[in-house]
Amino acid sequence: MAGAAEEAQLNRLESQVDSGGGGAWEYLCLVRKLKARRSEKVLKHGLSILNDAKDRSKLGGEEWTLYEQVAIAAMDCQRLDVAKDCIATLSKKFTGSLRVGRLEAMLLEAKGAWADAEKAYACLLEDNPLDQLIHKRKVAMAKAQGNISAAVDFLNKYLEIFMADHDAWRELAEIYVSLQMYKQAAFCYEELILSQPTVPFYHLAYAEVLYSMGGLENLQAAKKYYCATVNLTGGKNTRALYGVCLCSVAINQLIKGRNKEEKESSELQSLAAEALLQDYKHRAPGKLPLLTTMLKNMKLIS
Amino acid sequence: MAEDLVLDTAIRDWVLIPLSAVMVLIGILRYFVAKLMRSFQSPDPKVLKEGQVLLRARNLKAGANFIPAKSFRARRFYFTNEENGLLHVPKEQAQNAQAQMFSDPNMAMDMMKKNLSMIIPQTLTFAWVNFFFSGFVAAKIPFPLTQRFRSMLQNGIDLSTVDVSYVSSRSWYFLNLFGLRGLFSLILGEENAQDDTQKMMQMSGFGFDASKSLSAEKDSLDIIQHEWVLPKMEQRAEEMLRKLVK
Repeated sequence: MAGAAEEAQLNRLESQVDSGGGGAWEYLCLVRKLKARRSEKVLKHGLSILNDAKDRSKLGGEEWTLYEQVAIAAMDCQRLDVAKDCIATLSKKFTGSLRVGRLEAMLLEAKGAWADAEKAYACLLEDNPLDQLIHKRKVAMAKAQGNISAAVDFLNKYLEIFMADHDAWRELAEIYVSLQMYKQAAFCYEELILSQPTVPFYHLAYAEVLYSMGGLENLQAAKKYYCATVNLTGGKNTRALYGVCLCSVAINQLIKGRNKEEKESSELQSLAAEALLQDYKHRAPGKLPLLTTMLKNMKLIS
Repeated sequence: MAEDLVLDTAIRDWVLIPLSAVMVLIGILRYFVAKLMRSFQSPDPKVLKEGQVLLRARNLKAGANFIPAKSFRARRFYFTNEENGLLHVPKEQAQNAQAQMFSDPNMAMDMMKKNLSMIIPQTLTFAWVNFFFSGFVAAKIPFPLTQRFRSMLQNGIDLSTVDVSYVSSRSWYFLNLFGLRGLFSLILGEENAQDDTQKMMQMSGFGFDASKSLSAEKDSLDIIQHEWVLPKMEQRAEEMLRKLVK
């Protein structure tokens, strides 16, 4: 995940290269390092370097990495002819290599020939049973074919071995949420929070899953995690503020009957509501009346 | 015993500097030879899985207070329970690991190569130093030492009245051996430092590491007291919002 500073640099380089200034190679290197997905730009600028024989020879050993990068970008933009050319050049230079084999299988995938691609991946896996990228491609393929349960299976098997790969946990959590298997999704988000407790996004997602599951305990936990997100983002995250309000309303409804020993600090709700109002005043004043009526109905503001 | 010996500057020019230069060059040579000789070791699934389990257990330790108590306990049980917990290593397996180490031809070859690449240059350089650079005082150590160091640091100097601070070139060799690690990491890039001291320590702890670190992780997980930090978050969020709204 690119940090803000690096993304800014990336955008700057991109605009520089687009407007005709030099620096295409640095741009491509930065994209590769940050694993950003800017396939069209990569394709355009990468091709311009590769087609110019002088530029290409200047790269020396790095030109093969560039071929790989352009091949993947071409597949992403459905320019399969370009991809095939790049892969052909690469396989002439590095016959029988795992990386080139992977690219060829990806090309089959891009063409939509699922069965062939599966066979190719199975073949590659026999020689290298521990290659992470191949496993991930299998999951992606299953997902693309719409076979979500197979994707879940593959991901689970992958995670049994590579259990510290937090991107995989994230993918699994999103799949579970799409399948509405909230308990499993909650487990995945817990893993993510464990590995990176300072990323507010995971707290937010976990809170949302807990809120969706419902039940008093989950709602109270959800409220706490929304608060954590508010903390981590300095109160700027609108969704977390909404979450706090809605959780408080839901909790109050649930404990309406019982005696209010747990009179939660109602300050928190009204404060969150206030913060929301301020936010909307600054950024979307047109929607302010909607918000005010809603909050009044929820009895969060007077 | 406080006479100050005046050492010839020629010693500095012809002993200290060439010795350091030679050691740096030999280090660089070793690095390149090691790169050439490095055989591609296909990752062992068991070792890989253990590494990942360790990482996950460490994450659990670090972030334990951020997840609800129930989930933490469930995970801890998953890792440490006696029957099939991930971190639990039965006794026999631990013994087997070492036996396997010696019988596995690949690993033995690898270890031999690593040891050779370290021992031979060291031995040769040491012999060379002893042959050419012995029998005279090479340098003066700036701090005083006890008499016990005399045999170690003054091997070629057969006078027992010379202050122990005046050492022979053998000690300069050892100083360089341990001290050039920083220089190598500058020249050769971070991971490739010719870290002799670390390798020497590794030689004695033969890769039993896996089961030992697993049980270490298990013990540290067992003693964690879970304290859910989230309730405090509510109060903090309240204060923060209060400040924001004012």
